[in-house]
Amino acid sequence: MKKSAIPSFAWKNITESRLFFPLVALSLILLFDFIFIPGFFAIENREGNLHGSLIDIFRNGSTVMLLAIGMTLVIATGGVDLSVGATMAIAASMAGILMNPSALKNEVFFVTDPYYTFQPLWVVIVAALIVALICGLWNVVLVAYMRIQPMVATLILMISGRGIAQLITNGLRVQITYRPYAFLGQGWIVLPFSLYIVAIVLTITWIMTRKTAIGMFIESVGINFRSSFFSGIDEKKIKLLVYTFCGFCAGIAGLVASSNVRTSDANNIGLTTELDAILAVVIGGTSMSGGRFSLLASIVGALVMQAITQSMYAIGVPAFALQAIKAVVVIFVILLFSEQVRGFARGLTAQKKEV
Amino acid sequence: MLQQISNFFSKNRNFIPLMSTAVLALAAYGIGAYFFVGMRNPQVFFNLFRNSSFLLISGIGMTFVILTGGIDLSVSGVVALTTVASAVLLREGWNPWSVILLMLAMGMTLGAIMGSFIVYLKVQPFIATLAGMWFARGMCFFISDNVVAIDDHIFQILGKTKILIPGLTELAALQGNPAPYISIPVIVAFTLLIVVIYVAHYTRFGRTVYAIGGNEGRNEQSARLMGLPVNRTKMLVYTFNGFCSALAGLSFSLFVASGHGLYASGFELDVIASVVIGGTMLSGGSGYVFGTFFGVLVLAVTQALIQFIGTLSSWWTKIVIGILTLIFIGVQTILANRKSGRQGTQTTQELLVVRRKRQRLALGLGTIVVLAVVAILSASQFGWFSFAETPAAAQCVIKPFREEEAASLIKDGAVIVYNRTAGPLCVDELFAIYPDGRVLGNDGVNKVEKQVDPAEVEQNLAKIVGEYKWFTGAIYGEYLTPCRQCFAHYVSISYEGQEKIVSQVDGTASMPLGYTLTLAVIRSMLPEINPAP
Repeated sequence: MKKSAIPSFAWKNITESRLFFPLVALSLILLFDFIFIPGFFAIENREGNLHGSLIDIFRNGSTVMLLAIGMTLVIATGGVDLSVGATMAIAASMAGILMNPSALKNEVFFVTDPYYTFQPLWVVIVAALIVALICGLWNVVLVAYMRIQPMVATLILMISGRGIAQLITNGLRVQITYRPYAFLGQGWIVLPFSLYIVAIVLTITWIMTRKTAIGMFIESVGINFRSSFFSGIDEKKIKLLVYTFCGFCAGIAGLVASSNVRTSDANNIGLTTELDAILAVVIGGTSMSGGRFSLLASIVGALVMQAITQSMYAIGVPAFALQAIKAVVVIFVILLFSEQVRGFARGLTAQKKEV
Repeated sequence: MLQQISNFFSKNRNFIPLMSTAVLALAAYGIGAYFFVGMRNPQVFFNLFRNSSFLLISGIGMTFVILTGGIDLSVSGVVALTTVASAVLLREGWNPWSVILLMLAMGMTLGAIMGSFIVYLKVQPFIATLAGMWFARGMCFFISDNVVAIDDHIFQILGKTKILIPGLTELAALQGNPAPYISIPVIVAFTLLIVVIYVAHYTRFGRTVYAIGGNEGRNEQSARLMGLPVNRTKMLVYTFNGFCSALAGLSFSLFVASGHGLYASGFELDVIASVVIGGTMLSGGSGYVFGTFFGVLVLAVTQALIQFIGTLSSWWTKIVIGILTLIFIGVQTILANRKSGRQGTQTTQELLVVRRKRQRLALGLGTIVVLAVVAILSASQFGWFSFAETPAAAQCVIKPFREEEAASLIKDGAVIVYNRTAGPLCVDELFAIYPDGRVLGNDGVNKVEKQVDPAEVEQNLAKIVGEYKWFTGAIYGEYLTPCRQCFAHYVSISYEGQEKIVSQVDGTASMPLGYTLTLAVIRSMLPEINPAP
């Protein structure tokens, strides 16, 4: 009995790991790509920079990865932030208008000098991030201090956020021609530059949550905010930290996304990405009701979402029709995680053992 | 007296959100009518219903879903899918009545599938319906990539029939206005509203719906322990909402006479906002279907007001709706907190602490609002951009149509006179097309001339009169002041002895499709006037 227990324990260790399911999903999709799409794994070396479909998954997934980092913490406290897409649009509009304020005069002029900018780069980035932080603060006031359900509270910014973004840019799409800014989303240093941004944010967040007690506080608030209150954890302060951080991440994601398409389009930047981010976190195994979380698993979840998109594009599925396929995949993944199906599967294996 | 009033309020506390919404809607309309003469036209009032019949239909279904403590994000997807599927089926020559029945069945099936995921597999409503939305929207593009026009006879009749209001026709005739009317979808929406109010308050099913929702899901468990059929009721509610979405989709496709997968994007947010503004708690268990009616009305009046003000851009609608949602959610939260606060006993000291906390909270909230407003204002108006002056178009004075000039051109022998004002660049362009192919245009400063093939003019005129039914009731004029971004069009056509003038504004959903197509045909013949830089 004991002898057989040891290997099964190790196997269990692997399967029960938070990274197991998302990694299996990711490798299944990559396996599909490997079989059906020739040249999917080819990586080119252009002037010392690496290009290829695999790299594109990482590059295009960087915004969702950034959002997923912030969203993981929010969901771990038992909340959800629907406003990240709108926050992205607001931050991008702020950045766009600071670099090219011509839209305020209701005229679209095309800047020919690629190094023209109205404000220096650091002002642009800091201002955009401050605006994103204010969005996060707004959410936390509603969620923690006015005790409105998180989904409802963040819905308000989701509805009006795009209106605010259009107010900032005067309803116009702002062309971004400033080259150093475009480097955020389009630059390469061997690997795409946006990946380094993701790595930095991830490392900081990981250190913050795993090397200090904050991570544990977040989890305890998510599991039972009342008992964590009695053990001396200020739930409001934790939520303040988490939601503003989520806004901050959304701000960075907005900068990356707008520099990637070289326009700050208040209507389309970050459209439906809040859903991608939430699903990335759910695929990563963090329960929507809060509690334990894993940042790495969420990152893998974001990659799963992006890999599905990328491989469907490669097969030639039109962009809009892709949503239907995504929906089916998402339902499948969520069913895998649902207690009912797991219980059913466990029941099956248990019966086999008895036999 | 005061005692009586406060007693009255505390007795009818549940009605406060509903009543305040109703008062808000009527007050907003009253203020609008006071400032804008155009809004006193009874047709504008009835247009509120005509333009939002699908919102009301969908809101009725959503109210039930929210009352059970769930949410349905799939409505916009199902609406779009209905428009596309019905348009394609009609193009293939299906019987329109069977198309309508099929669409309703499709909506119910989608609703039932999502419901079974939520009820039996315990998937969160938010995620299950989100996947439903993606699925429906994706399917639209599998069916058709492009806009599919609906020109089926019965759909035209259903969409275009004007139902006059008894008694108001004479009144309008006295003022010299055309008789005000509503459309068939409005009647359908109101019938549904009455039926659902009965179901919600006078049947076992309705009481079960109220019993399930509220108290963060704890009521669902109590309902189950009481032996109420929780699963069956929830399934029914989601199926009914699927039905409502499909019905809303049908009335939407009657309204726009076409189908496309990108229609109604963000519609679910409008629906949820109107339910919340109507006084239904998002946590479920409390609210009235009738409130949703007023919520829809508030949204419609907001939209109309912003259109009438003209200088405000359309995105202000979103901001105003967001603010209204916030206010109503805030009121509900305060009411709910008071209710629960009354049950517990509180010492004076605790009350003091609570009060101090509230003061601090109010201070913090105020600071954030002020900061945000200052940041946005300074970003868009002053300070950081010293050279960014007032936007040029804000000074745009929308010029009236040059009706006399148009009439004289028609007398002169022109067959089509087209006057276009406002728009993003605040133009004022007048074109005249003559039967010999001469096209003249001016914007008050510059003049242009162009020669087109006379046969083309004749062909296009025949198309406008024959295919787009210019001289029939299908094309009607309904002139509202344009918003800053949208154009105002004035078209006068004289053909084979008939003459008709119609003016419309872009962006109003009531613009008939034939008019849009006519404009497209006319524009294809026009020269470019270079606007003065």
